[in-house]
Amino acid sequence: MAVALTTLTMARMKVAILRHAFRGTRAQTASTGATLGSLLAAGTIYLAFTDPDLLAAAYAIWLLGWILGPVFMGGGDETLRPEYFTMLGLPPRRLATGLLVAAFVGVAPLVSLVALAGLPVAGALIGLPNALVAVPATVLQLAVFVLLSKLAVAVVGQALRTRSGAIASGMLNGAILAALGQIWIFFVAFGETGVPSVVRYLPSGWGLLAVQGEWWALGALALLTLLLLGAWAVLLGRRAGARQPSGRSRRPMTAATANGAIIAKELRTWSRDLVRTHQLTFALSYAVCFAAVPLIVGWNGMLPYAGPIFVVMAAAMAANQYGADGTALWLTVMTPGASDVRGRQLAWLAAQAPVGVVLTVAFTSITGGPWPLVLALLAALLGGAAGLVPLISVYGLVPGTDPHRRAGNPLRTSEDDSGLTGLAYLTLALVLVTGLPAALVALRYGWAGVAVGVLTGALCAWGFGLLAERRLRAQGPELLDLMRTGRRQRASVASRFDQLSTTQRALVWWCFGFGAIPLVPQGILAAFFVSSDMLRHSWFLATYMPSGLRYPVAAGFVLLGLAMYGLGLWIIKPRPAT
Amino acid sequence: MTPALDISGLTKRFGDKVAVDAIDLTVPQGSFFGLVGQNGAGKTTTLSMAVGLLRPDAGGARIFGEDVWSAPEQAKALVGVLPDGMAMPERLTGREVLTYLGLLRGLPKDEVARRADELLTVLELDGAETTLVIEYSTGMRKKIGLATALLHAPRLLVLDEPFEAVDPVSAATIKRILRGFVAGGGSIVLSSHVMALVEQLCDRVAVIDKGTVAASGPLDEVRGGRSLEDTFVALVGNDDNGVKELSWLSR
Repeated sequence: MAVALTTLTMARMKVAILRHAFRGTRAQTASTGATLGSLLAAGTIYLAFTDPDLLAAAYAIWLLGWILGPVFMGGGDETLRPEYFTMLGLPPRRLATGLLVAAFVGVAPLVSLVALAGLPVAGALIGLPNALVAVPATVLQLAVFVLLSKLAVAVVGQALRTRSGAIASGMLNGAILAALGQIWIFFVAFGETGVPSVVRYLPSGWGLLAVQGEWWALGALALLTLLLLGAWAVLLGRRAGARQPSGRSRRPMTAATANGAIIAKELRTWSRDLVRTHQLTFALSYAVCFAAVPLIVGWNGMLPYAGPIFVVMAAAMAANQYGADGTALWLTVMTPGASDVRGRQLAWLAAQAPVGVVLTVAFTSITGGPWPLVLALLAALLGGAAGLVPLISVYGLVPGTDPHRRAGNPLRTSEDDSGLTGLAYLTLALVLVTGLPAALVALRYGWAGVAVGVLTGALCAWGFGLLAERRLRAQGPELLDLMRTGRRQRASVASRFDQLSTTQRALVWWCFGFGAIPLVPQGILAAFFVSSDMLRHSWFLATYMPSGLRYPVAAGFVLLGLAMYGLGLWIIKPRPAT
Repeated sequence: MTPALDISGLTKRFGDKVAVDAIDLTVPQGSFFGLVGQNGAGKTTTLSMAVGLLRPDAGGARIFGEDVWSAPEQAKALVGVLPDGMAMPERLTGREVLTYLGLLRGLPKDEVARRADELLTVLELDGAETTLVIEYSTGMRKKIGLATALLHAPRLLVLDEPFEAVDPVSAATIKRILRGFVAGGGSIVLSSHVMALVEQLCDRVAVIDKGTVAASGPLDEVRGGRSLEDTFVALVGNDDNGVKELSWLSR
């Protein structure tokens, strides 16, 4: 009875909070997420009609999304924080049960529930008992999704309390994500065609197994749910503990100028903030694994690109650097004489460039080339990232939670995790574009590409930095206010987004959301594969074309992608009031 | 003589709510000025706009004659600010924060080191030499905030709730520092809802209520023959809102 009352209260509390939170831009991001999610869910249900093996694979991907999504970006749904209830003295199991039920309230669980409707469909196609089993199986499967997600966040949260934990979890997450990105290699390596049978026996497939008549799976699901709930309850009890102050003595600051001071501050933050340590190791591990995985099938052609991949990943991780510092921006607003952006750019380069350079030189020496292309890319991307990171972070600022106000979940740096994710992908795409000119010149003319890379890199770092500095100077108080309240001031915001019609908005979302697909994989990457004679390559359309059409098709996709971004920008471009 | 701080017609709306409604205030040089008001009366909003941390919808502010919005570099060099509840460079130690800010303000390195030493000693933060600001207690955060406001030897201090969560011993130290600052010709504006504190420290007060100035002037003029608290309650309290009790608590 008490449990039921607690859970009901918590669920109602969550509904109330969500009703207040889903207004304005957050409602739009949430509805976009819901739309995309519904499309994926519909696709999953469709698989239930056609191919049960693929359905099992699809659920495995849903589960991975639940586990990696929050760890990778924003720490997951924390509408109800365990800290809210510490003074109530609830037993840990009851607290965990209540939070679990409340966790079912939300957009993501709803979308997943729709996707899991594939289970009743698959059951109904077999027979009545199977359809009936599908009902508890669906609920339990969703509980396993949600619980594994919560548990992953809790485990990584614990790990982030120590430096070694932060490094270890960064390494692991990077490796998993890179392996997923290169999953076709494993298929080739294991000579698999279709879905490996092990996928059916993952916990994500147990619901489907039960529906298909392997009744033990239903009991296993229930047992797993209980075990996960117990484990989560234990970890919830641990997170409330305060952090131990680190009593280490610190090396003194030797800077003597304003710029030097900013660099010193940033470098210290890079080395002392365990979330940043986690992000850096993540980028490093992702880059190394992504480049090294093809070695399994005996191809080392990817190795030289570990450095450039690291730079792009590290940039995406730093995309919200002003937001992550929270209201500390007031100090920048109060000292208009100093140039915050330049200092941050230099510090970013000082922290990331050595890693990128060492990776590039070491791995390219193993393969013996292609030096011009790799060095051109590295120079262009380093400069591009150093310029774009501050620019994106002042223009697309996602208000963060002030570091000293963050609750027990160190991954949760902002209340707007869809905003954070969007910003990271935007940075990823835009930084890649800054590497394009140098790469194309290097492919065609060799070493001249390096000169172009150095030039575009320097130009990007200087020019984008200047734009960021200007924006910070002109809009500093507005950005600070956004950080303090989490709300954009309508009157002074340059975006026209709020005045657009629904159709225009949808168009803008499509342009920005999917512009990267023609631009990067189907355009740039496909051109790259064509140039290195890798034909009939997975889903890269240009590689399937007859020889005369390959480059034109790739170029067409690049143009399409650019046109989509251009159209999106043109629609939201600020216009003088009429 | 140019006022230390001259606020004219400052206005701020948040949505439909007018948070600050055309406030005029003048802080003469050498005065210790107290801003009192209930929670949500508009004290923080007014002070934020006065020092250039929040853009007003209308009106402006001058610090020693320099306009905060058209000449920010000059105006902001003359003022030290302690905002309420804002973040700091959290992964620095107290000394590093002061070094960072001193250099940012363009002070020479040796001078920064000397002042940081003195500030940390006087504010009793030197024991926390190795502690990062993120690990500070609320009272310590106030003290390091005050140190950053004092570091560049401004002529005007704008302090938002400087004594909140500060222990009595530290509060006495801070009071001594602030009195010395005013005695040396400096000017201070502080906001508080602790009336006794304002009476103890300030020679001028302004009572802010619902975004407007309900009363302003020398302390004795504003409070008349009464205590400031009585005057304050009479000015901003609702008459029918006398002393209420909780029926279920006071048996």
